[in-house]
Amino acid sequence: MIDTARPTAHPFTAPPATEPLAVAARRRDRSRRRRSATTDLLGILAWISAAVAVALWLASPGSHSVVGIGGWLTDAGIVAGLIATDLVLVMLVLAARVPLIDRTFGQDTAIAVHRSLGKPVLYLLLAHGALLTLGYGASAGTGPIVETIALFSTPDMPLAYLGLGLFVAVVVSSLVAVRRRLPYEAWHVIHLLSYAAVLVALPHMLSAGSVLAAGTWQRAYWIAMYVLALGLIAVYRFAVPFVVTVRHRIRVVGVEPIAPGVVSIHLAGRDLDRLGARGGQYGVWRFWTATTWWHAHPVSFSAVPGRDRARITVRDLGAGSSRLGRIRPGAFVSLEGPYGLFTSRARTAPYLALVASGIGITPVRALLEDTDLRPGEATVLLRGRDAQQQYLWRETADLAATTGSRLFAMVGHRARSRATWMPEEDLRRGVTLLSVFPRLLESDLYVCGPRAWSDLVVREARLAGVPEHQIHQERFES
Amino acid sequence: MRARAVAGGIVSSIAVLVIGWQLGGQPAVTAPSQSTTSGTASGSGSSGNGSSGSTASGTGGSSVSGTFTGDATETRYGPVQVRITVAGGKITDVTALQLTDHDGRSVQISQQAAPILRQEALAAQSASIQAVSGATFTSEGYTTSLQSAIDKAGL
Repeated sequence: MIDTARPTAHPFTAPPATEPLAVAARRRDRSRRRRSATTDLLGILAWISAAVAVALWLASPGSHSVVGIGGWLTDAGIVAGLIATDLVLVMLVLAARVPLIDRTFGQDTAIAVHRSLGKPVLYLLLAHGALLTLGYGASAGTGPIVETIALFSTPDMPLAYLGLGLFVAVVVSSLVAVRRRLPYEAWHVIHLLSYAAVLVALPHMLSAGSVLAAGTWQRAYWIAMYVLALGLIAVYRFAVPFVVTVRHRIRVVGVEPIAPGVVSIHLAGRDLDRLGARGGQYGVWRFWTATTWWHAHPVSFSAVPGRDRARITVRDLGAGSSRLGRIRPGAFVSLEGPYGLFTSRARTAPYLALVASGIGITPVRALLEDTDLRPGEATVLLRGRDAQQQYLWRETADLAATTGSRLFAMVGHRARSRATWMPEEDLRRGVTLLSVFPRLLESDLYVCGPRAWSDLVVREARLAGVPEHQIHQERFES
Repeated sequence: MRARAVAGGIVSSIAVLVIGWQLGGQPAVTAPSQSTTSGTASGSGSSGNGSSGSTASGTGGSSVSGTFTGDATETRYGPVQVRITVAGGKITDVTALQLTDHDGRSVQISQQAAPILRQEALAAQSASIQAVSGATFTSEGYTTSLQSAIDKAGL
């Protein structure tokens, strides 16, 4: 069952025959410049969108003649609301898994930016509500409580308060301290409420907001932004995954325990090579059985998919993952993806340094399989806690042998004496990242493993002087 | 590279803000223009809200009667226009033809302010009335339009 399901490389993603170094270097340089320019452009667009939100107010009648303390508070509140809503739409786009964003700076970076915007947006929204209540109150000579009651009787305002409440719930549930205590599903359901929050907040902007009054170009622009952001979500988070799932009809053909708590799931489907999955990418998988359908798993391909076969390897990370070991062959699988920039496409340097720990081996193994390598170009360092935590090491060693790559193994618990990614013994012997990878400074460093561990590897690389664009880190979380 | 994005973002944002500033900038209350079509002392206005009235030719001061429509006053939250009913040289009623209605909030404010302004106007028999707090723009527009109606009535 197992060996027949083993995926093989296929012509679609197989790299071209080895190209001369200089040609490869030029190609990588061009591709890096292009990605970097696109990244900057997207960043600038986000800035502009926030500026336009303020400009909507600047261009509205009366913004040039704000009167009194009440007027200033009111207008500050309006601007806070406009910026907050714009940033919420930017957050939606970042979470929409738009291919351009994933290809340019990676979905994990997009989500990191998305997260960093959460709290500022919440503060802006709270300021929006507070400033407008105080501003209206100051103009009317009433207190904030009377004014709040008056606002509740204004059309669409109860919905707006509901939206604000939902946003608070979404952001609070995403705070690190809170999220750690919540089951993933609970967090996810709360997070889905943000779609509702965005929608119920819209009516009051259009009916009570003087900036977006009927018949203005501001109103048309605002609605267009809403359509754009929600449209990208609808297309890339719902429609495209649905089409991919229906088209490829993926099913489980076998579940192979490869170590305690670790299983390789062998999958069959139609035209899997046309998924366009590159070695190192991941998908968000959902297994449609009675006990697993409600949990989506972001899991890397542990081999480049073949025409009708694919393989993923999962470690028992959470409550949902442990059930995966009991999935029966025949189970229907839906897929969102493939996603990720942990591929040879992101390379910028002539040499390749791969570091993997534990289950972090999966994208590294697939990446090694999917990269066109000269002998001696790549060096692989595998890290395991003990003799059991050596998932897929044998086949990775085989791949290293066939590509002429050097392979090192480092086994043992992390040293406790100081913050390091190495075992005590190697630390004492004076092993460093540079001693394992003598050409580290001319290498692309790909690191995958537990977050805290891989951060330490990356830190050492930065201290050694590896430029930021040569560091590729796959973060295994969420 | 990040510096380039941030610098580009700041420069283009400033450009956008300047354009936004240029696009805006209508003053909050424009003076009622004399060329406003509605509200001539006699005859009908554009929307049937014209004034009609007669100045009695009798002796003993003014004994104006009829309705007089004030000029529409443009405010930040929409135009304001009132019509007064005069009987025997006295303002007997003030009707708001248009009130600030730019958005939901403005409608709410003007509905609160209009009865107060009307009471004040009837009591004062002039446009020298106090603004309703919280309805500054509505009040200003109201008094301006009221004054022009009073002028037309020749009170």
